[in-house]
Amino acid sequence: MPGTTAEQDLDLIVENAGGGGGGKTPPAGGDEGGGNGRRGGKGQPSPTRYFAGMGLAIVSIFVFFMALAAAFLTLKRGSTLWVPVHIPALLWFNTGVLLTSSVTLELARERLGSSDLGGFQKLWLTTTGLGVLFLIGQLVAWRILVGQGIYLAANPANSFFYIFTGTHAVHLVGGVGALIYVAKRNFDVAKVSRAVSAEVTSYYWHFMDALWLFLLALLYLGK
Amino acid sequence: MVSYDDGANPHPSAQAGLLRRVLFSTNHKVIGLNYLWLALASVLVGMILATLLRMHTSWPDTAIPFLAGIENTPERYAALRLLHGSLMVFFVLTAAPQFGFGNYLLPLQIGAQDMAFPSLNLVSLWMTATSLAGMTWSFFLPLVSGMNLWLGSASVFSLAALFSALNIATTTLELRTKGMTLPRLPVTVWAWFINAILGMLIFSVLLAGSCAVLSDRLLGSNLFSSVAYLAQQPPDLLKQGSQAILWERWFWYFAQAEVYVAMLPCFGIITHLVATFSRKPVWKERLVVLALCGVGLVGFCVWGYHMFATGMNPYAPLVFAVLASSLGIPAAFLLASWFCTLWHGAVQLSPAMLFAIGFISLFIAGGLSGIFLARHDLAAAAVSEDFVIGHFHLVMGVAATLAILGALFFWFPKLFGCRLNESLGKVHFWMTFAGVYGVFMPMHWLGLLTESRMLPEAQRAALASAGSSIRTFVTVATIWTMAAQALFIVNFVRSLLLRRTVEENNPWQAPTLEWSIASPAPEENFGRTPPVVYRGAYELIGATADNFVPQNLAPEQLAQKTR
Repeated sequence: MPGTTAEQDLDLIVENAGGGGGGKTPPAGGDEGGGNGRRGGKGQPSPTRYFAGMGLAIVSIFVFFMALAAAFLTLKRGSTLWVPVHIPALLWFNTGVLLTSSVTLELARERLGSSDLGGFQKLWLTTTGLGVLFLIGQLVAWRILVGQGIYLAANPANSFFYIFTGTHAVHLVGGVGALIYVAKRNFDVAKVSRAVSAEVTSYYWHFMDALWLFLLALLYLGK
Repeated sequence: MVSYDDGANPHPSAQAGLLRRVLFSTNHKVIGLNYLWLALASVLVGMILATLLRMHTSWPDTAIPFLAGIENTPERYAALRLLHGSLMVFFVLTAAPQFGFGNYLLPLQIGAQDMAFPSLNLVSLWMTATSLAGMTWSFFLPLVSGMNLWLGSASVFSLAALFSALNIATTTLELRTKGMTLPRLPVTVWAWFINAILGMLIFSVLLAGSCAVLSDRLLGSNLFSSVAYLAQQPPDLLKQGSQAILWERWFWYFAQAEVYVAMLPCFGIITHLVATFSRKPVWKERLVVLALCGVGLVGFCVWGYHMFATGMNPYAPLVFAVLASSLGIPAAFLLASWFCTLWHGAVQLSPAMLFAIGFISLFIAGGLSGIFLARHDLAAAAVSEDFVIGHFHLVMGVAATLAILGALFFWFPKLFGCRLNESLGKVHFWMTFAGVYGVFMPMHWLGLLTESRMLPEAQRAALASAGSSIRTFVTVATIWTMAAQALFIVNFVRSLLLRRTVEENNPWQAPTLEWSIASPAPEENFGRTPPVVYRGAYELIGATADNFVPQNLAPEQLAQKTR
């Protein structure tokens, strides 16, 4: 078998990439969380597949929003019908709420890492609450716009406002569902540890956060 | 990277109801087979539709029994074409090689217990089935609601394809058994993997596009500036025109790459079959994998070359033409590898191999006409719809179908524990092979000659009269090809009914892992002990008497065998 070592090296590289840059041995404590690191405990399947799956899913969702963003820029450039939407001030508040939720999520995972399950639950539910608050805030922003007579059907710029916020909200609802799942799931019988689920969920949540900033910037600069 | 979740995904036992065992099983083999059944149903309906379309073109006044209820209007004809295309592209060409064979064989070939996310896999199967039902039903609805249903079904299919791609990519990355390093992966697995990545990128775009059109149609948004909206605007704004071109861009972004989504797994299958039946290793295996990556990468970038006629930046067509032509480079690599593998090989012309060689022939023929189409100037001057239809049916439709048939002949023992009849298979192959050339080659001539925009008017008129007899020939050839498929159905049903002979586990003496276990594959694949892989997938010139070395044969056992 020629080149066995090189092959194994290549394999290791790919494995690390797939696992989101994680090493083979989970660091003790830290933000890896508890006794069950990435490689899973006894009798549990390797959780790296969840990291790989989430990574790939994020790429897919990213492309979905890029397609919409490309359409936004194309239509904006090519159209004199474009009447930019005045972004309601509430959106800045909502953004703050979402950013805070990312911080509380990381704090929660830190608690989980130091095996403080009570503190974790509290912060985790705070994160979930902030996520729900953001969604409600987005709905209120829609109501404000509708109150100003700016409907989905008015012109392409308005359509994009509703489509960006709407599709992002749909994705975020999934994130809230995941947060609730991690909080409520009985991890004694689950295939993966709570730490792993929390970490995978956190990737998604932070991605949703960054995506929102991107969409907001697009809407703002698109004026 | 090995992970065996013992009892984590309990597979329903044999006593469980039929529903749980067949329709709602999360076992990758059951799901893979279900995809193949879906594809089989779709391809039969799709072929009947194609024959109807041809018959209507040649003999428009013929009343077709059972179809008197469908109005004889251009709209119905267009809807029939849409249904034919949707069934064939989504549920045959996308579903069979990637989801069907991929789901069934990928975990077996990498030594895994199941896919990475079995429940998600079941969800995507059912979403695919829902989408199939939706697209079929949309044909029977009035135009407006039918289009909405079609778009909804396309969105559902995109989601299903995304989930499936996620599963296949993650499984390849994470669940390979001990020793199954990347260079030892069978080329089929590489093809499924690369294709999954490509699928994850393009189905997102189709999803975004379909959602946007649906939002325009149902919620009244104005992304595509509908005519109704423009009518309300001051007249000087009307010259802005509609933004329908945006949908065209979105659609082709998906649809051009979709061609490669259909072809990539077929390239993998053909490479596998050619090596196995030439009893030789794949020639320059790593280059083949690189070429597959190249097809995926370039295929992702050539969307614009469907839009030479719609207007774009004047330099863009040149870029797209160069890119599209550069697809010839990885294609030439693949062809070189197939031919060099065949060269001096101990070629066994089993039906599977015949279909593989048929694929290569069609791929060359269809690919050559693709070079014409990749030229933006030539395409505008001399090429019409018939030429395009002939081209993409040869290279994408029929070539891929031959690859699927080849795969079916090859893996039939693995799927069902018995072989298809070889003699019937050979007759079926030759009839189909002659038939498809008879259908699609004359279409190239029709496109080049009778509809050329470069010839003088008088000459075109003369050619047009010749055209109608060519068209009739095409229709007759279509009916012939259709009829030839009856042989396949007979072969298929007969083999399943007469499943008496106990098939040896490795009828083709193939070294990959799926042949190291019983046929049909047992429910838990490799049992409690995962296989260990010691070598590449194509060690077909072996030191042993069988002339092949299984991937999982330990070196000590090999030494004993050769002694």
